[in-house]
Amino acid sequence: MSSAPQPSLDLCAQEPIRIPGGIQPHGALLFLDEVDFRVLQQSANAASILGGSLTEKGMPISEDERLTPLLGALRDARLQPSETLQKRVLLSDAWFQVTAHSTLQGLMLEFEPDSSLGGGELFYTRLRRFVDAAEEYDSILSLTEAAAREVRELTGFNRVMIYRFDADWTGTVIAEDGDGTLPSYLDLRFPATDIPAQARELYRLNRIRLIPSATYEPVPLIPAVSPKDGQPSDLSLAALRSVSPIHLEYMRNMGTGASMSISLIVEGRLWGLISCHNEAPLYVPPAGRNAAEFLGRIVSQQIASQERGRESVQRLGFKRLETELVAHLSRAPSFQQGLVERPRQWLGMTNADGAAVVTEGMVLTTGAVPDTSVIKQLADWLHAKELDGPFATDHLAAEWHGGATISAVASGILAVPISRIHPSFIIWFRPEVVRTVRWGGNPHKAVDDKSMRIHPRKSFETWKEQVKQRSEPWRLSEIHSAGDFRNAVVNFVLKRAEERAELTSELERSNKELESFSYSISHDLRAPFRHILGYAQLLGEEEGEQLKSISRHYLEGISNAALSAGQLVDDLLRFSQLGRASLNLSRIDMQKIAEEIRLSFEDGDQGRNFVWKIGTLPDGYGDAALVRQAFYNLADNAVKYTRDRDPAVIEISGEDAGEEMIYSVRDNGVGFDMAYSGKLFQVFQRLHHVEDYEGTGIGLALSKRIIDRHGGSITAEGQLDRGATFSFSLPKPRKVRVQ
Amino acid sequence: MIGMRPILLVEDNAADIELTMAALKRSNIANEIVVARDGVQALDYIFSEGAYADRDPEPPAVVLLDLKLPKVNGLEVLEKVKAHPEHRSIPIVMLTSSREETDVLQSYQSGVNSFVVKPVEFNAFFQAIRDLGMVWAVLNEPVPAKRP
Repeated sequence: MSSAPQPSLDLCAQEPIRIPGGIQPHGALLFLDEVDFRVLQQSANAASILGGSLTEKGMPISEDERLTPLLGALRDARLQPSETLQKRVLLSDAWFQVTAHSTLQGLMLEFEPDSSLGGGELFYTRLRRFVDAAEEYDSILSLTEAAAREVRELTGFNRVMIYRFDADWTGTVIAEDGDGTLPSYLDLRFPATDIPAQARELYRLNRIRLIPSATYEPVPLIPAVSPKDGQPSDLSLAALRSVSPIHLEYMRNMGTGASMSISLIVEGRLWGLISCHNEAPLYVPPAGRNAAEFLGRIVSQQIASQERGRESVQRLGFKRLETELVAHLSRAPSFQQGLVERPRQWLGMTNADGAAVVTEGMVLTTGAVPDTSVIKQLADWLHAKELDGPFATDHLAAEWHGGATISAVASGILAVPISRIHPSFIIWFRPEVVRTVRWGGNPHKAVDDKSMRIHPRKSFETWKEQVKQRSEPWRLSEIHSAGDFRNAVVNFVLKRAEERAELTSELERSNKELESFSYSISHDLRAPFRHILGYAQLLGEEEGEQLKSISRHYLEGISNAALSAGQLVDDLLRFSQLGRASLNLSRIDMQKIAEEIRLSFEDGDQGRNFVWKIGTLPDGYGDAALVRQAFYNLADNAVKYTRDRDPAVIEISGEDAGEEMIYSVRDNGVGFDMAYSGKLFQVFQRLHHVEDYEGTGIGLALSKRIIDRHGGSITAEGQLDRGATFSFSLPKPRKVRVQ
Repeated sequence: MIGMRPILLVEDNAADIELTMAALKRSNIANEIVVARDGVQALDYIFSEGAYADRDPEPPAVVLLDLKLPKVNGLEVLEKVKAHPEHRSIPIVMLTSSREETDVLQSYQSGVNSFVVKPVEFNAFFQAIRDLGMVWAVLNEPVPAKRP
């Protein structure tokens, strides 16, 4: 999300600013041994500022009575690293502000002349007034404007700016107060390289920083390295720390003779700076600096509470939209559909102009979005990132090669993954917003090409740049909102998947039940019919001679009823088993089957006169036993419904129709009304009375089921009293590898 | 005397027993017919155990075995017999109402000698029983008697 052009070499970041080897000349610095307070190191000006007796190298300063209260306080405080102790001491008729830090290289004491007796009370009154007023400011802008005014009055700088960092560490001057001596930088933007990362880190550690003169001569430490560890002394925490020559050059280029920075730290992060500049050198005494630092803390807290307040108001709004949407999703047939049906909530939860949901190659959208094909490519690109949470950019073109072509509607995207395995995303889009950024000097000209050494730019004249292919940046609350919604959707999708799995296992269970049901039918329901038939036959044989003809008729009735019931059970079972039985696929000699079928009918033709016409049938491919059954049922039908024809003409034919083989059975029987053709293949559907044509009504349904299972189709054509033609097809095997 | 060894009919349904006996009788099969009413009785008979510990050690000419049986079912009986080194050669015919594919498959995998689905029609049933009786009890080479 970088929005500032970067110099190709960020050399500033390599400056040894923690160990500059010297201090600014407006005070003196000592490193003492923590135990006996011997002087380990001293700034070269220590003797002249503090008086010789105090600082002779190696002499324990505990023997200097003037310092007894200070040393006592130090002993009592037992400073921990990063803790500070401040005390005013009187040395040779002059007051000094002493600041002490505990470091790995000894106790670091900074002495600064401080004649501002009583100034603290004045500052205190001012600060209290500022704190009271700060509660009233309802925006960060009005708060920071007031802070700039207050700091300028406290310190007397020509210009005080409030400098706010963006996410990419470029900075913008959002508020300013000045007396007109120095030019206004209000609304100007400064590149991230102006304040490099390590400098920002020092601003975080050390909340106030004064450079009274941009032209000072640094005062070296003696000796140059710490006697404790042989390393250069770390002056990170020293207020007097000498600054980088590049920074001084930067100040001079800016036309400033003195500067002071107060850090604004919000929730542990360097939010911005109160940046003060003076044309001429300017010294701010310790009391004024303390007041300014304190003010910085107040402003930081106020910013934090304002941001939190704004954030929570926004979050509340987003949460409400999310709740509405999730409630709707739970009623929708699918969550994708649900999203599309609630565009206001879907777009509102991230303040987007368009949105899309991509799942398993399906794209549903609302509002202003790119073409579906581009959205799919975008999803694939996002998928390759293996994201865990939301992905947001306000400059898609810089990140994705396909971004430039869709920048009109999709300069900004906010995407959340909703599957780990598939490229499934919810993506929000924001259109391009062409903006003009006013830079404080041309940020592209930071590097001196000849020397390959970085120089701060010499001109801070406003340099305008038009920024394209950018959208409004996504706020943190919007990104959080997307993340929260993602979790809700993922849970929702998971729940649906679980429900589906439950349904599947439920189906499997009831399928199993059905299987065992039909298994038990095949054994238990079938047996009694067999027994009835058996006993009826035995009775007939035993009593055959004695039976009256009516009794014999009854016995036949019993036998017929049991037989047809038994056949019904058999047919039903065969039908139900078909769905489960595995197909034993092979090449089938259909010609042979047709001949066998004809023979089986001729065996029992009961004196009927048949004309069988069997054409040339190509081989088929399938389960031979089942296909034979299907074929047989069709022929059986033809035989049955030509009962009153003399002769009954039955034609069996076959043809190769390219992708499949087609076989037909044609007869000259009673035919049927095509209006009922749809019912022909349904179980128990009969078009004729049972008395006229026997059968269980399952034969054609069975044939259809067999052909269906082979991936073929079965059709019937007929005309009442003019015969019927039944045809079925068998697909050829996909791979031409037939046994 | 070959062919005069008993036929073991394993069947729990009384009607089926009666009808099968009638069918065998009509086929003039003179072999003694021993009826076992469940899988346990069948195994006892075949392995000469329990109530049949003292029976004539002649193995049955053929076992007509129903699939669905109380206690130990037909498939289990089949597996036990066919897994036994000595009795595995006793011919076993599954007589069952079932057309279940899995049953048929499993029976053949367990080494059944024949599998007959009892037809509903009595004549067909009669024919099937007669054929079975002839093939397995009369014509088939008898299994050598148990050697001492």
